[in-house]
Amino acid sequence: MDSENNVIVEYREVTKKFGNFTANDSISLKIYGNTIHSVIGENGAGKSTLMKILFGIYSQDGGELIVKGKPVKFKSPLEAISDNIGMLHQHFELIEDFTIFENVILGSEITNTGVIETKDTRKRIIDLIDKYKLGLDIDNKISEVSISEKQKVEILKLLFRNSEILIFDEPTSVLSPVEVDEFFKIIRMFKAEGKTIILITHKLNEIKELADRVSVLRKGKLVYEVNSNELDLEVLSREIIGPMEVTHLTDERAGTDYDSELLLSFDSVSVKKDNVLKLNGISFHVSSGEVYGICGVEGNGQSEIVDTIIGALKISAGSLKLNTGDVSLVPDDRIGKGMIKEFNIGENVLLREKNVTHFTKKNIKETSEKVISEYDVRLSDSLSPLASLSGGNQQKVIFGRETGLDNKMMVLVHPTRGVDINSSAFIYKIIIEQRNKNKGILLISSDLEEILKLSDRIGVIFKGRISQEYPKSDFTFSNDEDKHNFMVKVGKAMIGIE
Amino acid sequence: MIESILSLTFLAQVLRMFTPYYLGASAANFSERGGVINIAIEGFMIISAFGYAFFTLTFGNPFLSVFMTLILATAFSFLYALLTIKLKINQIVTGVGFNLLMAGTAKFLMMFVYQSSSNTPAIQPIPGISLLNSIPVIGKAAGDYIIIFAFVLIFLSQFILFRTRFGLRLRSVGENPEAAETLGIKVRLYKLYGVLICGVLSSLGGMWLASNQSSFSDGMIAGRGYIAIAAMIIGKWKPVNIFFACLMFAFFEGLEITLQISGSFLPTQIVQMLPYVITILVLIGFIGKTSPPAADGVPY
Repeated sequence: MDSENNVIVEYREVTKKFGNFTANDSISLKIYGNTIHSVIGENGAGKSTLMKILFGIYSQDGGELIVKGKPVKFKSPLEAISDNIGMLHQHFELIEDFTIFENVILGSEITNTGVIETKDTRKRIIDLIDKYKLGLDIDNKISEVSISEKQKVEILKLLFRNSEILIFDEPTSVLSPVEVDEFFKIIRMFKAEGKTIILITHKLNEIKELADRVSVLRKGKLVYEVNSNELDLEVLSREIIGPMEVTHLTDERAGTDYDSELLLSFDSVSVKKDNVLKLNGISFHVSSGEVYGICGVEGNGQSEIVDTIIGALKISAGSLKLNTGDVSLVPDDRIGKGMIKEFNIGENVLLREKNVTHFTKKNIKETSEKVISEYDVRLSDSLSPLASLSGGNQQKVIFGRETGLDNKMMVLVHPTRGVDINSSAFIYKIIIEQRNKNKGILLISSDLEEILKLSDRIGVIFKGRISQEYPKSDFTFSNDEDKHNFMVKVGKAMIGIE
Repeated sequence: MIESILSLTFLAQVLRMFTPYYLGASAANFSERGGVINIAIEGFMIISAFGYAFFTLTFGNPFLSVFMTLILATAFSFLYALLTIKLKINQIVTGVGFNLLMAGTAKFLMMFVYQSSSNTPAIQPIPGISLLNSIPVIGKAAGDYIIIFAFVLIFLSQFILFRTRFGLRLRSVGENPEAAETLGIKVRLYKLYGVLICGVLSSLGGMWLASNQSSFSDGMIAGRGYIAIAAMIIGKWKPVNIFFACLMFAFFEGLEITLQISGSFLPTQIVQMLPYVITILVLIGFIGKTSPPAADGVPY
């Protein structure tokens, strides 16, 4: 398999930048034909970008991409498709109102003077469905089928287009465990037929089960590669997480004597979304005066916890207690859920206030200016729309609004994602201040450093339940070695190997 | 009264009324299937009715006039496509603008060329098909090329939309242009095709009305372009369903005329209201179940 003439895709010092951010930093990587090659790394490590270059969604800024021996620079997915490359995206590109048949042929129709040939084409598609045991009825509309079936339709589209190099971007995140097993079987059949599979994932068990070779990306760089026969999951998880930066974790709570009042408790809560069990008997609680940090790989139920608290999802089993009035929320999708980006600061703040029925330009300006000075928001005009602010400043506005409500309970999701270092530090200060005011804070983040820095207790979420919980004493470190070991332990719990 | 409704004359009347509705509704459907809302059907009908009158009065040849009018409508369609597809101007605003522009242009030119604010001189109608015209009553009243084309169009549009590559791609563009583009489909080109077909079909509807009334007169389209859009919605963007919706409107319009002529016990105003009241009632009954193409009206 390592023979050089079996290389089907080769990246040579490929670099891709978005503005000042380097998503892929001079990556050199070989993918061998007829293998299952896994690309693994944390969120934002650059996996998807690397694959999108191969599929023609992005073009590299530097370096060379060589496919089947010839250098390429795809300008569109169409060019990649004609080189027999296919990609299964995390988001489906299907037409809801079309039948499966129509979705599969669209763009690659076989026609006879413009009229779609159906007889032979249908037979060909049905044969593919039978061969790979996809269990689809080609006359069903997409709007009538389940998510896992939609994914199978996407796979069918790749097969119909004779894709030989198949890129799967976190394919199992939408599947239930039984469906995952089915999916693995399909992947193995592809390999048995000589296809090459590139699997983007952050689930170690998938790698253990399927991959012939693994490449680890961290912060845009290729840091580690290993063949399956030398695979050591311990080493692999260290490589994914990387060396630890030394930070001083000082407990800034000045000996506050608080009454620990239970604010939020999940008691064996199960929640289904689109008929998939997303929270599976999860239990944890948050009291006043503490930060409870939930860490985990995204998609293990974090967003469903939030949606359950705010009432957007219904509980199918267990009980949820919220011993407080309103909850302050800093949502994960700042622009989509946290604000109306066309509105200015004052308007966004006043919108959230229940008792305000009318206001004047003066109110809006005063409210804006109050938030600007208290939360150190940097902008040129106090009445400019939030859309014109940087991510860090937008986030400070949202923090200003939510803390200003003075609710006892706060839910913070990825509070510093996409936020610059200075704003992050400011936001951390606000979070600690709020805790010291005896607020109960639920902190959900995939940034482990952040969780360690702020939390009083940590829960690791895996497959819809808290699989591990650690008290403060477990992560009060006397040296870096201890901290590193603890982070590796948590990292492993996050991907379910401990 | 019942007798007059059950007569062949009444049936012929309905078939005739059906023609501009179905042409207009199919026109709107081709545009919306590609994701472009075109409420300027009314305007296209007005300018085409005037165009046909003008060209026959100028050249005397009905078929040449049809051809010239189609060129005129296509030119306006290109302009509509330029504004809505290329420049992404709001489709409703553009449509309203076109309706006003075309109504005004027709009236202005009528005044300018024929010195009349109400109607043009009498024109030659589009000739009937002699074979059909030999059939008594129906064949004579409803045997012209455009009426026959309207009926052929029911099957033709069903076939084009659901059996051809063009139709599949046109519909994909109206449903999910992002997905269509990843599959290599030229989204804007297909939208343009939809708008051009829309222009041609609505133009035929307008010409037929002028031909039927043997002149162009101000206000003669009388909202039929809008009723056609309502028929398309009631017909859920499906050619055969649209046929039934148009037939219903044609029936009530025929009824209105028949009742007025035969003198009914109902006051004229009530009779004239019928098609519109029915539109509202049917929309109340159907609107919950109709859903337009998913990306209808969204610029891409």
